[in-house]
Formats: sequence, C-alpha cells, structure tokens
Amino acid sequence: MKTIISILFFAVVLAFAGCDKHEQIHLRSEVANDNLANNIVTRPVAFAFSALIGEGIEISEAVMRRNKGGFLELNVNGFNNSQFTKKFQYRVEWLDQDGVVIQTKTSVWQRMSAMGKSQFSFKVVAPRAEAVNFRMDTRKWE
Amino acid sequence: MKTVFQIIAISFVLLAAGCGPETSYIDTMHDSGKAVMALDYRDFDQAASEMVQSMLASGAVKKADGSRYVMATGRIVNDTMQRIDTDQLMAKVEQELLNSGQVVMSSAVGSKTDQMIYDTRDLKDSDVGDEFNQDTVAAKGQLIAPELSVSGKIFQRNIRYDKGHQQVEYYFQLQVTNLTNGLRFWQNETLIGKRGSNKSVAW
Repeated sequence: MKTIISILFFAVVLAFAGCDKHEQIHLRSEVANDNLANNIVTRPVAFAFSALIGEGIEISEAVMRRNKGGFLELNVNGFNNSQFTKKFQYRVEWLDQDGVVIQTKTSVWQRMSAMGKSQFSFKVVAPRAEAVNFRMDTRKWE
Repeated sequence: MKTVFQIIAISFVLLAAGCGPETSYIDTMHDSGKAVMALDYRDFDQAASEMVQSMLASGAVKKADGSRYVMATGRIVNDTMQRIDTDQLMAKVEQELLNSGQVVMSSAVGSKTDQMIYDTRDLKDSDVGDEFNQDTVAAKGQLIAPELSVSGKIFQRNIRYDKGHQQVEYYFQLQVTNLTNGLRFWQNETLIGKRGSNKSVAW
C-alpha cells in the first residue's frame, strides 16, 4: 500500500514538474498535455477564479538604454496574470534632465494585447536625444 | 388669439432647435471614443509614432560624422478608398525627424517644394528685378541637394468577414532611400485593422 501511495505521489509530482521543461518555450493550455492542475475540468474553474479575484497585468521589468541612433529606448517586460487575454493601451512621455516633459507627436496611446498567463514586452523609443527619463501611463483598451 | 398661436409656434421652434446633439471638443489627449471603420486621427497618430520610432531606432538617419542628413519628401501614394491628404501622416513624421536633430528636411525638391524658393530667384531676370537689391536675391549654387528621400504608400483592403461584418485593413508603408547610391536605408510597415458592421462605410 505504501509503495502504491509513493508511486502516485511521484506521478503527481512529475505531472506538475513536466510543465516547464524549457523556460524559453511556453506551451499553452489545450496545446500542451493536460495535467492534474490544468485539464478540461479545472480550466473553467481557473478562469472563473481569475475573473473573481481580478487578476491583471504586472510589469516585471523596465529597461532603459541608448540605442545606436543615440536615443533613449525603453523595453518593458511584463506578465499577464489573468487567464484571459488583456487588452490595454499605454503611453510613454519622455522627460529631460530637468524633469520637464518633452512635447512629441510620438507620445500617443498605443495598443497592446497580452494573452492569458503569458509574458509580453514592448519597446518605445524617445525621439529626442535630450530624453533621460520617462513616465508611462496605461488604460483599458475598450 | 393670433398672438398666442405665434408665441406657441416660436416656443416650439426654440425647443426643437435645442434638441439636437451638442457639439463638443474631442479630448485628443485621452480620447476614449469608439473606433470608426474609416481612418481617423488616432490611426494617423499611431502610424506616425510607430514609423518615427522605428526609423530613429534603426540608426538609418544618424550620420557617422554627427552632422544632419538632408531629406526630401518623395511621393506618398494614397491607395485607399478615402480622400486622404497624406500630409496627415507625413507632417507628423517630418516634424519629429526635424526635432530629432538628425535630419533637416528640404523644401527645394520633392512633394513639399516651396515654390517661393524659385519665385524669389526669378526676381533676377524679371521685369521688376530692378526694384530689388540684387545682393539680397539668392545667388546661384546656394541650394543644398537632398541626400535621403522618404516615400511611401497607404493602401486599404476590404474583406468580407461574415454575413454581417467586414474587415478593413489599412497598410502604412514608408521607406528611406539614399539618393546618392539608390540604396534603401530603412523601411517599415504598420498595419491597422478594423472589423465592424457591413453597414459601416470605410470610404
């Protein structure tokens, strides 16, 4: 009996561990093999729970660097914690060394879409060399 | 009695005049208005922003010696079903390129030629030439030829999506060509797609 329980325990552990063999490759549910945590029975529950607790977008990293043209470049990496695809808009404003907003036609609302439980990233380029910092705003994309 | 009728009639007219939808300003900074099937200013803003960022990020308009490229605006074709002034796109792109400090635009040649450049030069040989101090008239050989040209196209595809819906795809394409050797330094395409009722008119 003890052996059977041990085998079952290892099977469960392996089923969960088998999710991410390759970090670079994301196999979505209904593409990858179903497992105990993600199958035809648990998926609707997971979606309902995600909506109930209001999961959304999370920004994990905002990297700034000077590109080869000499302009400041912002690379934003994030994760959509929700089970649902999140559509949103973002707008980046560039600040000079005095913290003053640089008026530019490129600071407009841009659309972005991130699939559920997935990473996303986007890049924004400052059109002036005097940009040294940024501020970013987001809003729901209706 | 006639006066009473007149007052009532005028009251009705005034009431009816006040019933129409109010005119209001568009909040262009934070416009959350519904999307329309045709191209509106938000689409041009987005396309221009993406084009400028792509061009500047590529380093294609950065001169090795730190000086500025002279760029002329070539032909921008409107191949959509709408009456579009392509300046809606190009004015924004040119403004940002100028402000980037890496490019100076030419008004001497191309689709944005300023005829006044040539009109003032004609003053030398015109009947009224004597009226002008010839030292103030531009001498020969002063115009600077462009090194780069920006040209492109905006085109539209209408696709029947299902019985009641259509899909309209708008493609914005721009390219930068080195006029000295004919090589293309940069090009980009921005797609703006819309799906809506068949009853909406996209032209």
